[in-house]
Amino acid sequence: MRPEGRLGGVLIMTFAIAYFIVGLSMPRSSLGDPLGARAFPLVLGGLLALLGLSLAVAPVKVGGGAAGSGRPSMKAAALAVLLCVYGYTLPLAGYLVGTILFIGITAYLLGERSWRLLIGLSAGVSVGVYLLFTQVLDIPLPAGLLEFMKG
Amino acid sequence: MEIMEHLAYGFGIALQPINVLYAFIGCLVGTLIGVLPGLGPTATLAMLIPLVFSMPPATALILLTSVYYGSMYGGSTTSILVNIPGESASVITCLDGNKMALQGRAGPALAIAAIGSFIAGTFAVLVLTLVGAPVAGYALHFGPAEFFALMVFGLSTVASLTGTNVVKSVITTCFGLMIATVGIDLVSGAPRYTFGNPFLQDGIDFVVVAIGMFAFTEVIVTAIEVREGTRAEIIKAERIWLSWEEFKYSVPSISRGTVFGFLVGMLPGAGATLSTFIAYNLEKRICKHPERLGTGDIRGVACPEAANNAASGASLVPLLTLGLPGGGATAVMLGALMMLDITPGPLLFQKHGAMVWALIASMYVGNALLLILNWPLVNVFARVMSVPAKYLMPIVLVISTIGVWSLSYSSVDLLLAAGAGMLGYYLRRNKYPIEPLILGLILGGRMEQAYRQALIISKGSNFIFFTKPISLTLLVGAVLFLFLPTLLAKAKQFQSARAASEGAA
Repeated sequence: MRPEGRLGGVLIMTFAIAYFIVGLSMPRSSLGDPLGARAFPLVLGGLLALLGLSLAVAPVKVGGGAAGSGRPSMKAAALAVLLCVYGYTLPLAGYLVGTILFIGITAYLLGERSWRLLIGLSAGVSVGVYLLFTQVLDIPLPAGLLEFMKG
Repeated sequence: MEIMEHLAYGFGIALQPINVLYAFIGCLVGTLIGVLPGLGPTATLAMLIPLVFSMPPATALILLTSVYYGSMYGGSTTSILVNIPGESASVITCLDGNKMALQGRAGPALAIAAIGSFIAGTFAVLVLTLVGAPVAGYALHFGPAEFFALMVFGLSTVASLTGTNVVKSVITTCFGLMIATVGIDLVSGAPRYTFGNPFLQDGIDFVVVAIGMFAFTEVIVTAIEVREGTRAEIIKAERIWLSWEEFKYSVPSISRGTVFGFLVGMLPGAGATLSTFIAYNLEKRICKHPERLGTGDIRGVACPEAANNAASGASLVPLLTLGLPGGGATAVMLGALMMLDITPGPLLFQKHGAMVWALIASMYVGNALLLILNWPLVNVFARVMSVPAKYLMPIVLVISTIGVWSLSYSSVDLLLAAGAGMLGYYLRRNKYPIEPLILGLILGGRMEQAYRQALIISKGSNFIFFTKPISLTLLVGAVLFLFLPTLLAKAKQFQSARAASEGAA
């Protein structure tokens, strides 16, 4: 049995208690609204705390072998960080610049080493998605660094 | 006949060239993505939702349902040709389907899967046509107390039937309901869990969480598994036709699969996976020559495929009439509907009648399109499987990211989605099911409103839920469902269905 079951239960309980405490500061019932804004969160927080407790006391056995059983690697962590950076810098860098870099780096991380393919893939997909969103679906994408080209 | 008039009107909309085109694109894209291992109907739908906002509601719905249908069908193709089910509902199809392919009978297997799906799908839509409006009419008498009880019932069935452990399912349901409480409280106007951040005042969009939990998580899992990268060999289908004898031999199995699939599919939470297992096992007990099943018998493909499609059709009955989705994919559809400003439920047939009938009509069209499209192209689709993950995953990431971005053009949404992806990865790794979370998030707001309205009516007394017969029945049912897995733990098909949805989820 992996220890995450017990640890997970404690984490869940801590989260639920925090959620409950924040909920306490919410307004009580008012006229025509016998429950008020805090009732539902308090019920949920209490319920989840109990469930977390039950998991911490009697953890469920977690068998290995099925989906996602591989060890979390640096690669996955790098991917998650990259995703955040991409998302956060999207308005600044602009869609095309950001996406070409992002696809290139992701494909490199996942094992592609041919520069020709990397550049072709990232440029091709970026332009394709750009055309799909701006031309077919009418969803504007941030121009960012390429703002000056709009004229 | 009033229904015929409505249906004719629906066909008028569904057969407009633009809608047929979108149904065609939906079936095509759905099948292509369904063929890819890992990306099941739920992830596909979550990824595509932001793309449909600029479309008219009827067209958007038609596109989403045809994608749903297509991805279900794509999953069976890979079961047969590669012995890798595209999603959990086609696990059973591997048993006989892949054996048939190994014996050089991939063509008939794929053909009967297409025909069985078509027959079952059409039957399910037919029943939806007939019972949809009456069920919705009955539910019109529901007050807030009944609706609250109904949602509790829905959440509890989904929690009880997905995943491996009820406690874990209820925990993720709670998470979903908690995420739903973020934002301005609609009754009192008080901000809740916004921490002074103006972006959080509107609440957390379910699409953000769904894309993070399904699409991003999938990419992370794939990134970890990519080095194992063993791809099975694809068996090419030579003859794509099937003989009249084979068809006649399969018809009884198709009809049984259809009926069982439909009945199981109506139940919220049971969904397509469980229906295939139950149908296959019942088939084994009922049919002649049960010993042939499992050795490459065509009925072993026909029956679960029919059950699978009948169940997907059936799960639209509670979705459209009661606003209660049956599982992950229909929960995402419900969210999409709500984002298009259409709230499924009893009022749907009255308020958006034209659109509902267009949707129902388009399901007939979609069934036919799938049959025409997939049969001849089956070898082409199978080849999509061999696109390496290192090219595919960056594309999935970009489309999902831009989809999230286009919701409100804010980086906060993107960070939330990335956070949801990481939480989703943790949950998946530790065998917490994600579907109940999404469902809780989608139903949370409405559930709280119903609860509070009911208590306003009863002047603060909780007894209102126990004094109304419908709500009492539903609440008792909800509690019973939570104990169902303990009772069913010994049933073999229930266990294997669970193992399958766990493995392929």
